[in-house]
Amino acid sequence: MNFIEEIKKYLVSFWQPVSAVIALGVLSVYYFGITGTYWAVTGEFTRWGGHALQFFGVDISEWGYFEIMHMDGNIFTRVDGVMIIGMFAGVMAAALWGNNVKWRLPASKIRIYQALIGGIIAGFGARPGMGCNLASLFTGIPQFSAHAWFFTLAMMVGVYLGVKVTQLPFFQSKVKLQKLSCGIETQSNKSRDEGKVKRFFSIGTFVFLAMILWAMYLIFVANSQKLGAAMLFGGAFGLVIAKAQICFTSAFRDIFTTGRSQMARAIVIGMIVSSIGIFSYIMMGVAPKIMWAGPNAIMGGMLFGFGIIIAGACECGWMYRAVEGQIHFWIVGIGNVIGSTLLAFVWDDISVPLATSWPKINLLESFGNYGGLFFNYLLLFLLFLLVLKLEKNYLKKSKGKTNHAK
Amino acid sequence: MQNNTQAPTPTHRLDMHGEPCPYPAIKTLEALRELEDDDILEVISDCPQSINNISIDVKNHGFKVIHIDTSTPSVRYFVKR
Repeated sequence: MNFIEEIKKYLVSFWQPVSAVIALGVLSVYYFGITGTYWAVTGEFTRWGGHALQFFGVDISEWGYFEIMHMDGNIFTRVDGVMIIGMFAGVMAAALWGNNVKWRLPASKIRIYQALIGGIIAGFGARPGMGCNLASLFTGIPQFSAHAWFFTLAMMVGVYLGVKVTQLPFFQSKVKLQKLSCGIETQSNKSRDEGKVKRFFSIGTFVFLAMILWAMYLIFVANSQKLGAAMLFGGAFGLVIAKAQICFTSAFRDIFTTGRSQMARAIVIGMIVSSIGIFSYIMMGVAPKIMWAGPNAIMGGMLFGFGIIIAGACECGWMYRAVEGQIHFWIVGIGNVIGSTLLAFVWDDISVPLATSWPKINLLESFGNYGGLFFNYLLLFLLFLLVLKLEKNYLKKSKGKTNHAK
Repeated sequence: MQNNTQAPTPTHRLDMHGEPCPYPAIKTLEALRELEDDDILEVISDCPQSINNISIDVKNHGFKVIHIDTSTPSVRYFVKR
């Protein structure tokens, strides 16, 4: 096999999720160092909701939430915006290279409602928490912002409740186990159309190269280095989450559904790696992103956790699934934008008691630089233990059930 | 495990087309508990994320993964007790 074929094989196959999450942790540190902001997607989706309202003639200049979100410019001129364009290019390339694009229609009507309602709840919940499981978890905790801890723990409670609801018989899959008569032919590979696979691969390469050229144009011609760099980072984030099928929702959900904690543990390790990186940039003078640590983070986290389980995906997970042709997740994405816009609508009535009257707690200020660093690591260690304990409990319980059934 | 062995002949099949994760993994575990030791279950899932859950869940619960075919968007898992 020649060199090109080797590379191709690598681009076609799925990647190891555990090392991918750790790589995302490292990438997000450099992203912060270069752009001054953390890897986040929901904030930009909220701005899209604001632009949609403007398009329909709604005057949002008085809406406090959009003021916090800085609506200036558009998707092409904001760091978060171009990063998401890069991410879309990355997830598209990954799906096309892997022959993973196919129209997938929801199996039942229940799933459509689940996607929409769950998407709205998750979109609504993420905003008072000032982020999803990126900005208020994976990239928020390494910023040493106490709100991210409140959000994360509350989210786990929401996830647990969501699992309890989706395990009700009403939501269960109606698929029946089929008994096959012996000697039946497996339909292996029959539906594989080699011409289509090749075409998809070329389109994927085209999309990815076009994104890189665009980023280079931004850096070297338009003199917008930050935007160009953000786009390249977005491309890398997208490529990695889609190739390794990283799903922050399943990471916490499946501790309770099937007793698998591999991804949740990987996410904690990713944060252990990125905390020290972010710390080094903060020590060099980059300002960390700290949010209000009040009921907003707790209520938002619970709603968010519950919503993502009902919907089946969070704000970054639906992106790669949507380009893979999973209609279910287009609906989740639309639900997210509706939910976050609804929150923006009620924000001015609830913001003072829920969020803005509460302090923005920076652990590095509360406990001193190194005190805060160690405190964050202590909490990450405890979170790791909690995840392990929950997995153990589940497997113990399910083993008891299996033996009982026998 | 991926694609390098011949697909075995299944005795049972779960066709999970259109069902998002985690349902394919949950159904797989349920079905495996009902099967006999010699049965081979084929699970077809077009939820690509199942690659990170079915294969691991099956092992975590003490069952075996015999073969995984990822050559089409509908990933096929061959598992047994």
